[in-house]
Amino acid sequence: MKQENNKAHKFGMVIDLDKCTGCGSCMVSCMSENNVPFKEDESNKKDSITWMRVYKITNGKSFPDTEIVYLPRPCQHCGGKGDHGHSPCVSVCPATATDYGYDTGIVSQIYTRCFGCRYCMGACPYHARYFNWWDPKWPEGMENYLSPNVSPRMRGVVEKCSFCYHRYQAARDKAYVDGRDDIEEQEYQTACTTACPAGAIVFGDLNNPAHAVHQIVKPDPHPDPRNKHIVGKSRNPNVFRLLERLGTNPKVYYLSEREWVRKAGDNYLEGEWDEIKNHHGSSSHD
Amino acid sequence: MKVDRRSFLGLGLGAVAGIAVSPVGIKLTDDSSIWTQNWPWTPVPVDGEVSYESSVCSLCPGSCGISVRKIGDRPVKIEGLAGHPINDGGACLHGIAGLQYLYDPSRVKTPLKKNGNTFEAISWEDAISLVAAKLADIRNSNAPERLAGIMDKDLGSVSALFKRFFNTFGSPNIYTLPTLESNLQATAATVHGKGQTIAFDLENADFVLSFGAGLIEGWGSPVNGFKANASRKERHAKLYQIEPRLSNTAANADKWIPVKPGTEADLALAMCAVILKKKLFDSKAVANFKGGVNKLNALLQKTYAPSKMAETTGVKSSDIDTIATLFAKAKMPVAVFGKGRGDGAQSLKELVAVHTLNCLVGNINKKGGAFVQPETAYLEFPAESMDSIATDGLTKAKAGRYAHQVFEKINAASQPVVEALFVYNANPCYTLHGADNIKKALGKIPFVVSFSSFLDETAKQADIILPIHTFVERLEDVPSCAGLAKSVVGLTKPVSPPIFDTKNPGDAIILIAKALEGDIAQSFEWDSYDDCLESVTPGIWDDLSEEGVAVISEGIPTGSVAVNVSFLADNPATVQAQGDDSLTLIPIDNMRLPSAGTAASPFAVKTVSDTILKGTDSVVEINPLTARGLEDRGYATLTTPMGTARVRVNLNEGMMPGVIGMVEGLGHDFDNKYVSNKGTNINDLIGPVIESGSGLDAAFGIKAKISKA
Amino acid sequence: MSEIENKTENGSTESAGERTAGDTKDDKGLGLGVIFFIVAFVVCFLSGTLLFPKLLYSKREQPFNFDHKLHVGEAGDCDSCHYLREDGSFVGIPKLATCLDCHSEEPMGETEDEAIFAEEYVSKEKEVPWFIYSRQPDCVFFSHAAHTQSGGMDCVTCHGPIGESTSSKPYQENRITGYSRDIWGENIWGFKKNSWDRMKMDDCAECHKQETGHQGYCFQCHK
Repeated sequence: MKQENNKAHKFGMVIDLDKCTGCGSCMVSCMSENNVPFKEDESNKKDSITWMRVYKITNGKSFPDTEIVYLPRPCQHCGGKGDHGHSPCVSVCPATATDYGYDTGIVSQIYTRCFGCRYCMGACPYHARYFNWWDPKWPEGMENYLSPNVSPRMRGVVEKCSFCYHRYQAARDKAYVDGRDDIEEQEYQTACTTACPAGAIVFGDLNNPAHAVHQIVKPDPHPDPRNKHIVGKSRNPNVFRLLERLGTNPKVYYLSEREWVRKAGDNYLEGEWDEIKNHHGSSSHD
Repeated sequence: MKVDRRSFLGLGLGAVAGIAVSPVGIKLTDDSSIWTQNWPWTPVPVDGEVSYESSVCSLCPGSCGISVRKIGDRPVKIEGLAGHPINDGGACLHGIAGLQYLYDPSRVKTPLKKNGNTFEAISWEDAISLVAAKLADIRNSNAPERLAGIMDKDLGSVSALFKRFFNTFGSPNIYTLPTLESNLQATAATVHGKGQTIAFDLENADFVLSFGAGLIEGWGSPVNGFKANASRKERHAKLYQIEPRLSNTAANADKWIPVKPGTEADLALAMCAVILKKKLFDSKAVANFKGGVNKLNALLQKTYAPSKMAETTGVKSSDIDTIATLFAKAKMPVAVFGKGRGDGAQSLKELVAVHTLNCLVGNINKKGGAFVQPETAYLEFPAESMDSIATDGLTKAKAGRYAHQVFEKINAASQPVVEALFVYNANPCYTLHGADNIKKALGKIPFVVSFSSFLDETAKQADIILPIHTFVERLEDVPSCAGLAKSVVGLTKPVSPPIFDTKNPGDAIILIAKALEGDIAQSFEWDSYDDCLESVTPGIWDDLSEEGVAVISEGIPTGSVAVNVSFLADNPATVQAQGDDSLTLIPIDNMRLPSAGTAASPFAVKTVSDTILKGTDSVVEINPLTARGLEDRGYATLTTPMGTARVRVNLNEGMMPGVIGMVEGLGHDFDNKYVSNKGTNINDLIGPVIESGSGLDAAFGIKAKISKA
Repeated sequence: MSEIENKTENGSTESAGERTAGDTKDDKGLGLGVIFFIVAFVVCFLSGTLLFPKLLYSKREQPFNFDHKLHVGEAGDCDSCHYLREDGSFVGIPKLATCLDCHSEEPMGETEDEAIFAEEYVSKEKEVPWFIYSRQPDCVFFSHAAHTQSGGMDCVTCHGPIGESTSSKPYQENRITGYSRDIWGENIWGFKKNSWDRMKMDDCAECHKQETGHQGYCFQCHK
């Protein structure tokens, strides 16, 4: 049996926070793509399941110098320390219900295998995982719009963003019948990416220099000389990752021209930011 | 041989051991784990062949192209349609959640007749004959003008059929609720003459001066607005946003200029004064001004000089000067008006004052400027057949200039002003200011017919409800509007068969017309709405049916446009907020909550932040300086001259001191637990303030006080 | 002296006597116990092996017999009916419309089964409610294209020689899970002789490990 392709992908995303308007299209597109349920009261955000969540961040200044930015947060699909696939959530799952796909870089899972211990939720620094406290319920007839591409989850399991893996599968199926051994950039795009009316989300293969996401992020092939656990740091001075210094190596990058926004991506001790803000990958120290 | 305890022990142990080494254990463990992973009540979506159908979303004036993914016959996902001239791929959250409206718990599933306090299901035949009988009575009493109608908009063939029905019936009393398009038309009518509308070339402008227009919060055609904004970033064009609150648009802008609520007109006129005084205007354009600008200039320099307006507006006189200069000196400037979404209450003085900035700098019908163009016309209806009752009826005076005045008149009169009311696709009992008074007026109308997909606040007041298809189930032409620089007609197609016993609203009105017989029936000779649509769109039907979209006009309109600023030169009064309290309550338009038309979907409500809605409470925004004694997230009592609401407080530095902001689109009251009974409807707290001269409800807010609850 | 001993002496003599009796008959009792043990063991083991599967599965007949062999002869290979769509998705059991591509000639009903098909389904425009032997839970993602196109596998590898069958075997539904017996396999121990005897996750993983060097990641086979 031949393998469909031996090149490992590393799917990732870059979100332009200057373009993001906080409109919520990505959230709803994600929910309707992935059969995410809803319930009567969703204003307790701790139990509201949103694989993609848009956070509102302010610069903390008072009127009229205050500023706002919206930050969409899907699962960050962490590569873990050194990008070896030891994502925080994967490392702690006692059921092997979640694992790291070395061929895609996507943190995948089996909902039915999960027994609901929620260790992964505790381990995730990004609050990207959600627990089903209740069985999903749709108003009469509404289950007719559910998509067969994603299985509805049940009470007692954890779920999260999958980078719309089923779209990857569909693109590959198409490639198989066409006799191609790989998929095109535009064939596999997540539901949030295609929905974004501002075009703020760019998705693709971080390993593929022809892909837009690679060209924007310009990931550093070498580990960060300051912290060997950090791999794939962006060489674009306006690009950052959330809590980058943890070494979780997320595959979701953020882009902003505003310094305070980039600084908001992590917690810095006094003076730390000034030291680090001009450091963009190992090459900047060459 | 005696069977004793040990024998039994042997028996038991043997049984256990026998079962243990048999496959029962391993098999049952496996089966029970599969069983617990596949509860029978967890739905299993049916698989099938994937197909895509393109259509148009008509939930808002945006008129975006959509692509509906279907599994077999079943639509499962709505997405933006790539290559569509308006939205090219993107979509807003409401359109994406569109399928939730199909199965909405508050859908009207069959024609309903009010019976005391409840509704009973009736057949379409019975419903149509009941409506026809009542209407025939009105005509027989020779007072056809006592049939009134309210529609959401005056665009497209279904609205045209309603108007045609009212004409042939003999009633001039058909109204639309205020929309951005109606406000643009009113502005164009005042400045340039009737029959025209205004559009903004936001995709090309290099300096956008927005007077509170929520360019990325649902103003105009929302997705087009998002795209224009994103391209503005790439083009390095500037956006200056003038409004009391750090809205998303203000946050995304290059500069936010906080202004006291309701003083936008004053600020715009102060900027006009700067441009005139410093002679920064385009002399060729000003030469087009009917009667010149001398009278206006004299008024502006005397009354609206920046030094005088600084106190009124809260904007420093030097800032007014700087911004006006930047605007006038920009290559392709455009001033945009229509606060929030641009629908609802607006002051004509403000709209005209802002548009005068465009006229002064000479950006009318120039790239990146404001386009003044004729209203989209593509419908060709055959001549109406009018009987004498209709001809006489149409000569009678309208009950009011706008819908609001009709309701006021009904409430004030002791005799019925309106005998019967048609409400199509509109929810005045929710969206108009002083919603309680509107409900009261509807209660006084003897016969209310609602053409609605949902049992919303207004449908609940009706005597007969004719359930209509949602946009996913119906055929309809959807012309673009709302400030879009190009004029496009899209075709909404039935991508799902009707889920319930509903009809296309066009078919419903054709059936009523036929039931009335005579000249009215003769004016509605089509077999169905589908036939009608094809026959009244002869010029574009081929494009519509084949491409799903027909482009009527794009590019820059040609020809010079007359400008008349006499409305402003007469110095109309600026509308003041009702009440005496020191704080001002203003509505906030939020992209995730529709304020007019169809209520939000469960998905849209789910995305709403807990700093806007918490549990069943609206959260109001207030600057910490103003919120003396109030705690963040704490309860408070908000009081206006119109009413009182228990709210929660969000201390927000993005709010101008002295102002309280409350989101629009909450506080619905109908049978959908995912959407209704959440928060307060701000229209219950704000009353209408009619602007003298225009007749528009121009209440930008209301005076209010807030105290710890 | 402990309290227990006190009790024994002063309390019921019966219980003490029984114990003594037990002690004396120890060997015999154990012998009987062993016999009982063996009998119970054998009975339970056999019922667990032979009777249990009969209780676990209910037998259901297909709506009517389907002669695969005949169809393969008439229509050609498996993919004449069970084909991949252009987008790479798999049609599965053909819909009525596909059947009507051939079964359109009147009169239909050469065989008893075709007559049922014509009367009950074709004339009523009703889909045939086939029981699917290989139906997997909803959480399973399986790409036929990946296996047949890219992997170059034969249908037989997983589905066995069903194409040679002349009649539809009864569908044995697991009363607990609702899935076919074919998933776990005919052998109640779960042993298999042929690659198509079982369709459990372990069987997928085994082949994946063998052929691709890795048993695969969650999302590869789950959705």
